[in-house]
Amino acid sequence: MRRRKIAPLVASAVGVLLALLLPQIGSDYYLYLFALVFTNVVLAASLRPSLTCGQLNIGHSGFMSIGAYTSALLAKNLGFPFEISLLCGALLAAIVALAIGYPALRLRGVYFAMVTVAFVEVIRLVAQIWVPLTHGMSGLSGIPKPSILGMTLTTKTSQYYLALFLMLAILLVLWKLESSRLGLIWKSIGMADNLAQSLGVNIAKHKLLAFAIGCFFAGVAGAFYAHFIRFLFPPEFGFLMATNILVYNFVGGRGHFAGPIVGAIFLSLLSEPFRGSPYETIFFSIAMLMTILFLPGGLITLPAKLGGLMWRRRASAPSPVA
Amino acid sequence: MPLLEGRNLSKHFGGLAAVNGLDLTVETGEIVGLIGPNGAGKTTCFNLLSGFLRPTSGSVGFAGEDITGRRPHQIVACGLVRTFQLATLFQELTALENVLLGLHLHSRMGLRQVLFSRRVFPPDEVSLSHEVLEFTGLASHADQLARNLPHGYQRVLGIAMALAARPRLLLLDEPVTGMNLSESAQVMSLIKKIRDGGTTILLVEHNMKAVMGTCDRIVVLNFGRKLAEGTPAVVSTSAEVIEAYLGAGLHHA
Repeated sequence: MRRRKIAPLVASAVGVLLALLLPQIGSDYYLYLFALVFTNVVLAASLRPSLTCGQLNIGHSGFMSIGAYTSALLAKNLGFPFEISLLCGALLAAIVALAIGYPALRLRGVYFAMVTVAFVEVIRLVAQIWVPLTHGMSGLSGIPKPSILGMTLTTKTSQYYLALFLMLAILLVLWKLESSRLGLIWKSIGMADNLAQSLGVNIAKHKLLAFAIGCFFAGVAGAFYAHFIRFLFPPEFGFLMATNILVYNFVGGRGHFAGPIVGAIFLSLLSEPFRGSPYETIFFSIAMLMTILFLPGGLITLPAKLGGLMWRRRASAPSPVA
Repeated sequence: MPLLEGRNLSKHFGGLAAVNGLDLTVETGEIVGLIGPNGAGKTTCFNLLSGFLRPTSGSVGFAGEDITGRRPHQIVACGLVRTFQLATLFQELTALENVLLGLHLHSRMGLRQVLFSRRVFPPDEVSLSHEVLEFTGLASHADQLARNLPHGYQRVLGIAMALAARPRLLLLDEPVTGMNLSESAQVMSLIKKIRDGGTTILLVEHNMKAVMGTCDRIVVLNFGRKLAEGTPAVVSTSAEVIEAYLGAGLHHA
């Protein structure tokens, strides 16, 4: 019991330490890569509240897109400081989530998933067609670099630390939510929603809240992405990215908070050589299939599984003393 | 004044009247049984009373308040709690955690508690849950996963969770279905114990022996209408009831 609590703590402490030291060891390329990995971690982890409630959201990248475009346009056209434009982007993503979720969350299972798929395509098309605002398929460029309290973060190192800080802060909030009563309510809805309802849970309200919280943080991730890459291209935030976010959760494992984090880090790093090429889709499909076949609980169950194998082998092997 | 009062309740599914003009009252401290052949509208009636379905017409009154059209979680807050026909439990949690959730889910909380409370379950709730398990005879199974419990215990756990929500009226949907004689006798004596503790009970059940031995009053439904009502002795000798269950005799043919 105790070991189960300490192992993740040690792992995350080592992870954070390595992340803090990375600028000392790695080149700018690695800083760039890991800043994107951290963005993916935020996206994956922010899908979790909805997933825990049993809602399959295949439109998460649509909310990221809203955060990205809102923040980019506010900063570029109206000169908003980074902090404010990021917050506006995230808030708009949450507000849209409330508007979409209010009718859609009454649907269950696959019907809700279909609405989110339609949503992500609608958002992509809006970004593509609304040329005067978003520059459509020529892409939105010239987005200002992120800044903190008026100081522009020009170096890759400072932007990397910003990504790290945002990720850690968001993970902390999400973890706090999940380990509180609210997280318990989400879990109960996911396990048996009619039972939760008969025990006094307003399931419509809580599903909506979980959905909006997740989309808020997707908006934050999008806003950071916009100011970090400084170029937005509508098809990037399409259905494919939304399914990738989902795959991070499934491959990492849905049974634990660490699942989406592990999944996002593992898959983003492994798929890096294929980024943007058709092989990326193939890679993600294979990862998903392998997980379903061999590790239904996801990567986070791998240590326990290996431990079990070792133990069994040791038990069946003839004792060396005899 | 009755604790629960359904007035002229109807529920139509398309052309089918699952419940049709039903009047139903439950007095405080009673155990009332709702029986009837398959498809008589018993479960629909339960769903209407607990807010899982909205009646097509008619009204539901509880403790002097009109609760027609309220949503399930609001009705639970009034003190009317139901269980489900199948063993609906949080399967991946232990028996104790299930009861804790029953206690817990309806308690209010602020943002501060959400973000800064260190414990999910306060110690007083834990001890209260142990009491509920003790009361229902599940104390020795507190740490077993719900899905590993035998069927009979799963059903009792469902009742324990509902009890944890501190109901004034408990609606039990087929509490002893699929149980053997001794299990069902145990559950029935538990139900009496719950009533003696001050909770009024309305139950749906197929098991005639269990119903007859436990209920103070029985309401018989057939085709969505009330066929008969009265003490077990009166109902079990009613010609209409016997006909509904066993079919019309030859002389009607």
